[in-house]
Amino acid sequence: PERSARVSKVRPPLHQYIRKLLFSDLDKSSIEHVLRQLRKLPWDECEDYLLKCFMKVHKGKYSQVHLIASLTAGLSRYHDEFAVAVVDEVLEEIRLGMEMNDYGIQQRRIAHMRFLGELYNYEHIDSSVIFETLYLILVFGHGTPEQDVLDPPEDCFRIRMIITLLQTCGHYFDRGSSKRKLDRFLIYFQRYILIKGSIPLDIEFDLQDLFADLRPNMIRYSSIEDVNSALVELEEHERSVLTEKANSEKHSDTEIRKLPVRTNSIATSAN
Amino acid sequence: MKDPSDRTKVVLRHLPAALSQPALIEQIDGHFAGRYKWFYFRPGKNSQKHLRHSRAYIDFKRPEDVIEFAEFFDGHVFVNEKGTQFKAIVEYAPSQRVPKFWSKKDGR
Repeated sequence: PERSARVSKVRPPLHQYIRKLLFSDLDKSSIEHVLRQLRKLPWDECEDYLLKCFMKVHKGKYSQVHLIASLTAGLSRYHDEFAVAVVDEVLEEIRLGMEMNDYGIQQRRIAHMRFLGELYNYEHIDSSVIFETLYLILVFGHGTPEQDVLDPPEDCFRIRMIITLLQTCGHYFDRGSSKRKLDRFLIYFQRYILIKGSIPLDIEFDLQDLFADLRPNMIRYSSIEDVNSALVELEEHERSVLTEKANSEKHSDTEIRKLPVRTNSIATSAN
Repeated sequence: MKDPSDRTKVVLRHLPAALSQPALIEQIDGHFAGRYKWFYFRPGKNSQKHLRHSRAYIDFKRPEDVIEFAEFFDGHVFVNEKGTQFKAIVEYAPSQRVPKFWSKKDGR
């Protein structure tokens, strides 16, 4: 049968140039140069296209994701709106990925987790964004009729997402309040893992490596009952600290948060 | 971690892909004109392969305005030109950062 040859996409020269900078020129030694070139671009014309390219972290080498994060941080001095948009966009990608839970884009979703972690490493976002994302992954869609589609019992992809994010930036949560926040999260994470039941061996090995790296002395609970009682204890402790604080100071501007039960509606959480 | 009651930046999601920024602003300004400091619109896309909803980020002047905005727009149904309904979602933006307006012009 006759068929016309596949028409290759013709991109405008400006887009071609951006792609050349980001997808072929960029490496450790050229990053300063690439940053300068990006600053020289006609931003009004190409900001949207740049954002699109920054989201394609999965197209390049996995080991290069941090360079895009570094560029984002570097550009924030001059194009803060862009640097803010990159963060909002990657968070949206992560969220959308969970809403669709499409097998075909898993690699891309993993790259976005890595990207988010690198944005933290380059001090472009603070730890609250990381922890919000971690808890969102644990609870998104749970307790809704769609739970079996969004997070089927045998689906361990969310565990992979969390491993990737914590492998990227978890080692920075080693002191102060962010250390406590990670300690706390890891117990909730353990419950999530235990509820999954049997975990494929490769993921279990990655988990063992992760715990060995981040919290070599942490207890790995072996049953749901054990982890639940640990959580009850934790939550009671948090409540008592909270009331203590509230009693000792009027404006208790604490970092202790309510249970990570994420209510999507702002109106209800305000009540 | 910002106290939830201090948060002012929201994201309005699941908007029709074809919704335009002026059309959305018109709807928002009907009730919230002058009550936000920053607005950022991400148009959606409706190709054969993918549907991508439009989205908007809004930074309000006061946390209380967020509550009122959510009461109005969370679950608000937008209808596109073909009559399809889109139920919007309002949430706090996971990243509360907004651009600093004073960011200087790049002298390169």
